[in-house]
Amino acid sequence: MRRRRRSRADRITSLALLVVLLGVLFPFIWMIVGSISPRWDAGWFNPLTEKPSWSNYADLFGVMPFGRYLFNSAVVAAVVTLGNVLLCFPVGYALARRRFRGRGLLYGAAALVLMVPQYVLIVPLFALIHGLGWYDTLWAITIPLLVHPLGVLLVKGAVSTVPIEVEEAARLDGAGPWRIVYRIVMPICRPTLAVLAVQVFWLTWNAFLFPFILTGDRARTLPVALAMFRGYQGVDRPHLFAAATLATLPVIVVFLFFQRQIISGLTAGAVKR
Amino acid sequence: MTDPNPPAHADRTAWVLVSPWVLILGLFWVYPFLYALALAFAQFDVFSGQWHWVGVANFAAVLVNSEFWRAVGHTVIFTAGTVPVTTALAILLALALNRRLWGRAIFRAGFFAPTLTATVVTALVFLHLYAQGGYLYRLAELAGIPVPERGFLLSEKTALAAVMVMDIWVSVGYYTLLFLAGLQTIPAELVDDALMHGASGWQRFWAITWPYLRPTLLYALVINLIKSFQVFTEMFVMTRGGPLGATTTAVYHVYSAGFERFDLGYASAAAFVLFALIAIVTVIQFRFFAFGRGAEE
Repeated sequence: MRRRRRSRADRITSLALLVVLLGVLFPFIWMIVGSISPRWDAGWFNPLTEKPSWSNYADLFGVMPFGRYLFNSAVVAAVVTLGNVLLCFPVGYALARRRFRGRGLLYGAAALVLMVPQYVLIVPLFALIHGLGWYDTLWAITIPLLVHPLGVLLVKGAVSTVPIEVEEAARLDGAGPWRIVYRIVMPICRPTLAVLAVQVFWLTWNAFLFPFILTGDRARTLPVALAMFRGYQGVDRPHLFAAATLATLPVIVVFLFFQRQIISGLTAGAVKR
Repeated sequence: MTDPNPPAHADRTAWVLVSPWVLILGLFWVYPFLYALALAFAQFDVFSGQWHWVGVANFAAVLVNSEFWRAVGHTVIFTAGTVPVTTALAILLALALNRRLWGRAIFRAGFFAPTLTATVVTALVFLHLYAQGGYLYRLAELAGIPVPERGFLLSEKTALAAVMVMDIWVSVGYYTLLFLAGLQTIPAELVDDALMHGASGWQRFWAITWPYLRPTLLYALVINLIKSFQVFTEMFVMTRGGPLGATTTAVYHVYSAGFERFDLGYASAAAFVLFALIAIVTVIQFRFFAFGRGAEE
């Protein structure tokens, strides 16, 4: 009897959630429908009487240097993601396994840097990037983000759970330190690295503040270009929504493939394990 | 913290291992941080590159600037309005999604979609939804709510509230996820036991669910508060701090001092004052929750 009552409550909950979900997704539906709208001023059109205009997507490349923005975003996200996986690993490993002078200091620095809000650094970072001659280049928005402190701390946690015997056996077999780090320990930590990779990809692809401050028109990424759209003649609502849809797509695809990693990345630290 | 005994010979290679991080950390994080600190105590001329040390004058200028406090006020309103609503909605959604529902995976992914999307994208779409004739505008008209003539974002009275509503829409999914993770730490035996003893829904919630949710709640509140205090992108895309400064938040104030008026010393000092305010509020939160938990256990 208890069972039947619960299942009816569940059905009502499901129905209510469905209604709420449609409301939540409405802006996305509107964005996508608006992106194939044949009329420049319309956010909505009747698909029964009007033909969707897919050419809005192709037009993007004509009304603004959209291809370049897409390329910039892709390169930056790929390099920063790969860099974080490859470079955070030895650091996290050293923090977990080696005793050396400055270890405590570095560990503290990783934790502290996570606490400093980005906006404190925008003025001096802008000056520094200018001084290096990197303003409006892809260097400016990749190099400073190559080793994220979050990654260092994640890796340190993961390496700590790897039994030390694995390394000792490899050392007895004559493996050098680099071989041990990259060939022996790193593959064992693959799940953590997957979490790190998708998290960094997501943050980098969507980032606004740093790319906005550090780039002009040449090295601009998609989100920055979208925020600046007012500067382009001929970018109307359907085109804008087409660009916004293209900026959203990679994240949705990555999410569908790596749901579990994304969720554990976002909830890391929230729950005491 | 588990720290297995490391081999003694490892000292030299350790520094090679950490060198990329030390370089990047030093050059792009520590150095700018110290530079920012120096700027806060100086008057720096962008065009000539001249430094004039002014002591605490920048901080004094920040503290007596009514525009700064107005921006902090907007930030506080933003935080006080969004954090509790987001948290409450997220807990409710998490409790609903934790049941064995039809299509649970779809629901989770769907509610999470706003969080995944770039802030710039959501801000742009809402910009059009809020505009005069936009769907949210028309919906409010139909519901008989008095609507501002030129759309929600161009009216001083409604602009901040409109951004707050969007922020809640964006963040609920993320916090739902956190609370779902928290709910999953509850041992199934505890729930079964309570059911066997005939505990009611409310009894189960207060005796079992709530204590297990508390650590997640603290985390969610701290993270959300820190994020809300730094709200900027939404304002930049949707309102540029306007109309008439009605949506100028603290970080927007810092941004416009630094990059619109090029008053770098002032901008830096304002950034540190805000940093200090965030730190104080965070410490208060931790104290508040730590006491509560101590009394309970």
